[in-house]
Amino acid sequence: MKRIFGLALGILTAIGGFVDIGDLVTNAVVGSRFGLSLAWVVVVGVLGICIFAQMSGRVAAVSGRATFELIRERLGPRLAVMNLGASFLINLMTLTAEIGGVALALQLVSSVNYLLWVPFAAIAVWLVIWRVKFKIMENVAGLVGLCLIGFAVGLFLLGPDWSDLGRQVLQKASTGTEKTSTYWFYAVALFGAAMTPYEVFFFSSGAVEEGWTTKDLAESRANVLVGFPLGGLLSLAIAGCAAVVLLPELIGVTALSQVMLPVAMAGGKLLLAFIILGVVAATAGAALETTLSAGYTVAQFLGWPWGKFRPPAQAARFHLLMIICLLVGIGTLMTGVDPIQVTEFSVVFSAVALPLTYLPILIVANDPQYMGEHVNSRVLNGAALVYLVIILAAAAAAIPLMIITGAGQ
Amino acid sequence: MSAAGDNQSPRYLDAHLHLLDRQVLDVHGVPVAVVDDLELSEIPAGEEIPPDTPPPVITALLSGPTLATRIFGGRPPESRMLRTPWVAIREIGVVIKLSVGRDTQDLFWTERWVRDHVIGRIPGGRHAPKGEQADSNDRGGS
Repeated sequence: MKRIFGLALGILTAIGGFVDIGDLVTNAVVGSRFGLSLAWVVVVGVLGICIFAQMSGRVAAVSGRATFELIRERLGPRLAVMNLGASFLINLMTLTAEIGGVALALQLVSSVNYLLWVPFAAIAVWLVIWRVKFKIMENVAGLVGLCLIGFAVGLFLLGPDWSDLGRQVLQKASTGTEKTSTYWFYAVALFGAAMTPYEVFFFSSGAVEEGWTTKDLAESRANVLVGFPLGGLLSLAIAGCAAVVLLPELIGVTALSQVMLPVAMAGGKLLLAFIILGVVAATAGAALETTLSAGYTVAQFLGWPWGKFRPPAQAARFHLLMIICLLVGIGTLMTGVDPIQVTEFSVVFSAVALPLTYLPILIVANDPQYMGEHVNSRVLNGAALVYLVIILAAAAAAIPLMIITGAGQ
Repeated sequence: MSAAGDNQSPRYLDAHLHLLDRQVLDVHGVPVAVVDDLELSEIPAGEEIPPDTPPPVITALLSGPTLATRIFGGRPPESRMLRTPWVAIREIGVVIKLSVGRDTQDLFWTERWVRDHVIGRIPGGRHAPKGEQADSNDRGGS
């Protein structure tokens, strides 16, 4: 019974923790401009993150080594330091976007300008990292994040023409006045939003934090394989809501309030309150994950003691670095930069940086010295290689598409 | 090169594969550093080496500033080398384990400094997070 409960809890946490500010914004933007014609990217992205997370979780559980230790061992210091630089900067950008997301959501409930909420959001994130147990942190954020199911409820309440939505899904080419290059730019952005590198740093380091062993492999696989696809459905619901309400009215999504507008129309204040709670939890949870990931990557690269399971004084540089990252995040937001735009850039750059973390994990997952009998199966390797091609293609196309389309204008 | 430790039969290590960029743990299993570079015993430069000279041996694992010089080239000044003597190594596997506590190591000074001057002074900094079992091994040496 306890096992079943633990499994259910893990799955629910995975669903609630799947969506972050990147998914929220990108899905709504895409839904409002292209309808559901890019839904296939979400499916591809979710499958990809399932493979990637499952592989890195298994590597961490079997070898006890987290992602960035392995990246350095496998790539050597020169390539690894470039990788670290890129991953760290993109992670910092995502961290900034997530804190901005928390602040924007709090602005919606309080009518207090989001800039005033930014320091409070960042301090709250720090306090949780400083004092709250890893497991509790993960579960609370994930479970409250489940409130995002309100997007699915909202979509049903809107009572859309389902056959029309179905036609949008099957529609190949770009819709209406949008150019083909813009369509593909958003395809890459959506892919980057679903497969963000920090998720993998966090997932593999979290496995070490929680002391996973080979016995926990089955449970972690179930969490990932059930939880992430259901989380992906939430992403599709967000896009669906935007497609039903915003697309016909030609409303472009430039603010978080527009992401939630369809839900407010469908379910009124009550559902809106529910959604805002979900957005706060989801973005705060992701802010915690990205902050920890910033510490994890550098500490693992340089061999510092790290981890929330240690008292902060026993992992001093790790904690100092996270404090600095949060301060940089606050500083960046205080310049008045639009958090939504930071988000849009961060998902595109995530797609660029993805091969850097994906490839080393794929190699180590096949190395018997680390993995023993738990090396990748043939089927998994086949799928992983297909994804390697997709990931490389997305990474190569991201920057040129960004320049051609003027970042999707 | 043979591995440290008398209880093992000699085995061969590839410095690149088995030593460089490996995580170093102290006697309590706490991360200390990553092997950034290796220090070899002196090889006379510019002279003819007589055929019966013993091969150079690794005298220490280096960390810290040597990472930058390994990436960009050059050599840090002697005084800034942070060494872990080869004799302090207990076991070489997926990670390198030392037979000493981390606080005896010079290269841990930045961690000690940040702990004593910054993190340790913030309230709650010396306690494990609420409900988390502090790893008793983790407290050794401080």
